[in-house]
Amino acid sequence: MAAVILEARGLAYAYPGGVAALSGLDLAVKRGQRLAILGPTGAGKTTLLLHLNGTLKPSAGSVLLDGDACAYSRSAVRAWRRRVGLVLQEPDDQLFAATVFEDVSFGPLNLGLAPAEARARVERTLADLHIAALAERPPHLLSFGQKKRVALAGAVAMEPDVLLLDEPTAGLDHHGARHLLAVLDRLAAAGTTLVFTTHDVDLAYGWADEVALFDGGRVGSQGKPETVLADARSLARAHLRMPLVLALGLAARAAGVLGADDSLPHSHDDALALFERGVSKLNRVV
Amino acid sequence: MTALDRIAHAGRWRRLPLAEKALLALGLLALALILPPWPGAVLVLAAAALAALAGARVPPGAWLGAFAAPAAFIATGALALVVTWGEDGLALVAEPLVAVRPALRALAATAALLLLALTTPAPVLVKALRLPPELADLALALYRFLFGLLDTLRAMQAAQQARLGGAGSIRSAGLLAAALLPRALERARRLEIGLAARLHTGTLDTLAAEPAPSPRRLAAIAILLAAVAGGAAWLQ
Ligand SMILES: Nc1ncnc2c1ncn2[C@@H]1O[C@H](COP(=O)(O)OP(=O)(O)OP(=O)(O)O)[C@@H](O)[C@H]1O
Ligand SMILES: [Mg+2]
Repeated sequence: MAAVILEARGLAYAYPGGVAALSGLDLAVKRGQRLAILGPTGAGKTTLLLHLNGTLKPSAGSVLLDGDACAYSRSAVRAWRRRVGLVLQEPDDQLFAATVFEDVSFGPLNLGLAPAEARARVERTLADLHIAALAERPPHLLSFGQKKRVALAGAVAMEPDVLLLDEPTAGLDHHGARHLLAVLDRLAAAGTTLVFTTHDVDLAYGWADEVALFDGGRVGSQGKPETVLADARSLARAHLRMPLVLALGLAARAAGVLGADDSLPHSHDDALALFERGVSKLNRVV
Repeated sequence: MTALDRIAHAGRWRRLPLAEKALLALGLLALALILPPWPGAVLVLAAAALAALAGARVPPGAWLGAFAAPAAFIATGALALVVTWGEDGLALVAEPLVAVRPALRALAATAALLLLALTTPAPVLVKALRLPPELADLALALYRFLFGLLDTLRAMQAAQQARLGGAGSIRSAGLLAAALLPRALERARRLEIGLAARLHTGTLDTLAAEPAPSPRRLAAIAILLAAVAGGAAWLQ
C-alpha cells in the first residue's frame, strides 16, 4: 500500500511585499514515489519545496510528515530536516567548504555522526555519485554539472527519507541529466521518496511515478503522468505542452495502431518502436 | 585573492600538512629577518622561489604575477631612498646600500610568505589560526561570499558589456555596484537556506582530510633552513 509520507494541506503563503505565491495548495506525496511538480516560471514550485522542508512557514494550512503537522519550533524543524532533505536549484547556494570532501561531510557531522562514521558516509556517497575523484577539489572551481552532483551528494549523505530537488536537471546536458537520473533511480530503489520540480514535461512523463500540475498557486491536478499530462486544457493553463512521446501514443491510439488497453509509450525507444509499427501498418495497407 | 587560491588548490603541495609548509615558510621568513641582507636575504629569496617553483610546481608566470605587485611596491620605496634631489638635479645618495639592504630583506620576506599563500588555500589557513569557532566561521563565510560576489560581478560585467553598456565609465561602474549588493544579499540568504537544510547550527564543522606531518619531510625542511643559514655565513 502506498501510504502518504509527506502532505501539504491548504497551504497559503505570500512573500513580504505582497506577492501571493501559494493559495490553498494541497499535495500528497506517497512513500517511495517519484513525484514531479510541474508548473510555469513563477508558479510557486520553489516556494512549495521551501514549505515542505520547513524553511517557510505557511500563513494558512499545514505540512504533515507521517501525519504529524510541523510545529516550527527549532527542535521540531531540525527533526523534520533530518528526514526531509533539500537540494537547491543553484549548487552555489549550497556549497561552502574548501573541498568537496569537506562540503559533503557537513550534513553527516550535523546529524551527530562520529567522525569515522561520517567519513565512511562521505566516501560511500562520493563513490555512489561517481565523484570520488573530485574529493579534494574546491567546489567553487568545478563545472556547473559537477557542482550539481556535489550539492546532491551533500544532501544524499544525510540519507533522508524524502529528498526534495529543485530543478535537478536544469542546466545539465543530456549526459549529465542521464547520470543524475541514474543516481536518483538508485536512491528511489533504496526506498527514498523523491519530490522534484521541473519545467521538463518529457522528464516528468518519462521518469516520474506521479505528476502534480500547478495552477494559480495551487495544485490543479495530481496523478499518473499519462492522465495528468494528457489533459490539454490544464497543460495550456500551466504554459506547458504535451510530452511528445505521450502525444504520439495518444495519436497512435486514436488511429488504432495502439489498442485501448495497450500501455502508452514512455520512453524515446517506446515511441520509436510505436512509430515503426505505424509505418509498417501503413505500408501493408498501401 | 582568486588567483592565489586557484594556485594553492591546484598545487602539488595542496595536500601536505600545514605544519610542514608553515615551518618552511616561517623558517625562511625568520632567516630573512635575522641573516644579514647580503647574502642571507638573497639566499632566502632564492630558496623560497625554488621551493615554490620546483617543489610546489607553481607555474613561473603565476609566481611572478603574485610576486610582482609587492616587489614593485618595495622597489619604489627603495628607489625613493636611493636617489636624492640635490643642486645638480637627481643624484644617488652617498650610501645607496642603506636603502638596498632593507629592500632585499623585504623581498625575501615577501617570497617566504608567498610560499605559504601559494601552497595553502585560505580556508585551511583560517582553520589553522584556531580562532574562536564563531569568528572562524564568519571568516570562512566571508571567503565563500567573496567568491560568490566575484562571480556575480563578473557575470554582471559581462552582461553589461554584452548590452554595449559603457564598460569602464564611472556611471556604469556605479550601476554595477548598486545592482551588486542586493544580489549578493539575496545570494547570502539562499546560502543560509541551503546550509539550514543540512542542519546548520552555527558552526561550519567539516571533516578536513589532512595528513599528519612526516618526520622525514620535517627533517628535510630543517636541513634546508640550516643550509640557507650556513650558506649565508660561509659566503660572508
Ligand atoms: N524572496 C522572494 N521575495 C519576494 N517574492 C518572491 C521571492 N521568491 C519568489 N517570489 C515570488 O513568488 C512567486 C513564486 O516564486 P517561486 O520561486 O516559488 O516560483 P517557481 O515556480 O519556483 O519559478 P521558477 O520556475 O522560475 O523557479 C513568484 O511570483 C516570485 O516572483
Ligand atoms: Mg524555482
